Amino acid sequence: MDFYLGLLQIMGVHTLLGLSAYVVLQTGQVSLAQAGFMAIGAYIAAMLTVLSGWPLIAALIAGALVAGLTACLVGFPALRVHGLMLVVATIAFTEIVRLFFFNFDYQIARGSLRVGPLGGEGFRQIRYFPENGWTTLHVAIFIWTVVALVMAALWWMDRSRAGAVLRAVGEDEIAAQSCGINLTAVKVSAMTAGGAIAGLAGGLYAHYTTHIEQSNFTILLATFAIAYPILGGLSSVFGTVAAVIFIQGFLVEGLRFLGDWRNLLFGALIVLVMNIRPSGLLDARTMATLRRLFSRKEH
Amino acid sequence: MLIVDLVQSIVDGLLFGATYALIGIGFTLVFGVMHKINMAYAAASVGAAYAALRLIALIGGPAWASLLIAAAAGGVFGLIIYWLCFRFIPLSNPLATLMSTVGMFLLAEEIIVHTTDGMPQNYPVVVRGILDMGEFMIRGDLVFVFVCALLAMVVLLYLLYRTKLGIATRAVSQQPVAAQLVGIRLNHINALTFIVTGMLGGFAGALIGSAVGLLSPLLVIPLTIKGLIVTVIGGLGSIPGAIIAGLLVGMAENVFQYFRGVTERDIYVMLLLFVFLVFRPGGIFSNTVKRD
Repeated sequence: MDFYLGLLQIMGVHTLLGLSAYVVLQTGQVSLAQAGFMAIGAYIAAMLTVLSGWPLIAALIAGALVAGLTACLVGFPALRVHGLMLVVATIAFTEIVRLFFFNFDYQIARGSLRVGPLGGEGFRQIRYFPENGWTTLHVAIFIWTVVALVMAALWWMDRSRAGAVLRAVGEDEIAAQSCGINLTAVKVSAMTAGGAIAGLAGGLYAHYTTHIEQSNFTILLATFAIAYPILGGLSSVFGTVAAVIFIQGFLVEGLRFLGDWRNLLFGALIVLVMNIRPSGLLDARTMATLRRLFSRKEH
Repeated sequence: MLIVDLVQSIVDGLLFGATYALIGIGFTLVFGVMHKINMAYAAASVGAAYAALRLIALIGGPAWASLLIAAAAGGVFGLIIYWLCFRFIPLSNPLATLMSTVGMFLLAEEIIVHTTDGMPQNYPVVVRGILDMGEFMIRGDLVFVFVCALLAMVVLLYLLYRTKLGIATRAVSQQPVAAQLVGIRLNHINALTFIVTGMLGGFAGALIGSAVGLLSPLLVIPLTIKGLIVTVIGGLGSIPGAIIAGLLVGMAENVFQYFRGVTERDIYVMLLLFVFLVFRPGGIFSNTVKRD
């Protein structure tokens, strides 16, 4: 049972990560900086609970705020360029953050052992959950509560004016600009929101694994972050969840019996899905069909 | 002594930077022709070097032959990538091809890990020896890498600027619709671009293998990142830009390593990219900054 709860936790954190990329992708920007924001959130939140003894929720919020602020600061220079230049700039950002934590030591003595991040060895002893008697079930429920809150907020945003503005910028920048939309403000806000969500994901991740290190937050993770919404489709937040279940549940765990071959199949299946469904698993047409089906039932 | 060591690291970096230039050219050519980025490029390049290594081990042959085999294998891989990741995916959707090439990247990396059990493989040394020039030493293998890379660039530039195929390629990159109107087959040119860049990448992969002395799956991600940085610093789509930027990045990397050590050097290379993004977002060879 614990195995499935653990899987549920991983899925929850990855859903948050995917949603953080989803917000940015709405504006038509591809950001591979999400892993960097997640690292910042993870380290900040973990340092606050372990070194300063903050309560968890406050630490998570602080981590999300710092990650969001960083995203805002990075957004201004990075969003002067767009398209592929932004992809490269954000790759560089994630690498800078990773290498920063690779060289980052900040340890204090607590009792007989020293705690805190230690360069390449990472940050051990993030024991908030065990120390406060949380079981795996509690943690899983807590993570999915956060995911549900974020999803509800984004789902609501998709239907509000803000969502329409984001989509307008994503569909056609020049048309959006002609309607009086401030492109930079919209893109930087989306980046900030995405950064904050990724920071939240990082804080949760740090606490359930109890050990983080720079090699957790590579370009590969950033690629996963954009892979979820792209594979799932950008027309709804549920696409991201579907893709997380498809990748983490089916590709990573469901195919474990294939052993080594699973990893080979992983890349091949992504290539295949993009060939068959270039707009994602749940694209706009599928969503419209689903909506029709459900509304028919109500009558 | 400081000056001597500094000059030494600059020279070494410049020589090795030629391989980054080759990888950067590959990214930039595909971008120029299709306005798409091929994320699987560096992975396929290293994969081609592995394929050459395998073939040499299997049938035997001189070490230099591995360079040519790698180039041939790279061409084949390039075509495969084009067919699987670009040919049947609508180009109007920029995210789809980005994702499909990322999938290809993961696949290529996994195939490498799978066939070698993730162990680094020794690469045959083509040229050994050190040129001793007073206080300086120049590594023979790096000079060889540099000369080979320059040769590859000259061949490529000849192909692009002196042959019919090159004219067609440049026409497609300037105006795809007009190129189609004068009878150039887009799919044909796109596929050929992938073959040519693939050959260039395979050659670069083999050169890197012979300069580093081994091939490892760990080369793939740093090479992808350096290649992309070179592409952006040089200006997307600009071949001379990619060459200069490749040498610049190779040099900067070695200088930063000399001053700040190997664990921090890449931070500064990335920051160099940000400096360019802020002050010269169009790359080295942009004379006017275009409005968005």
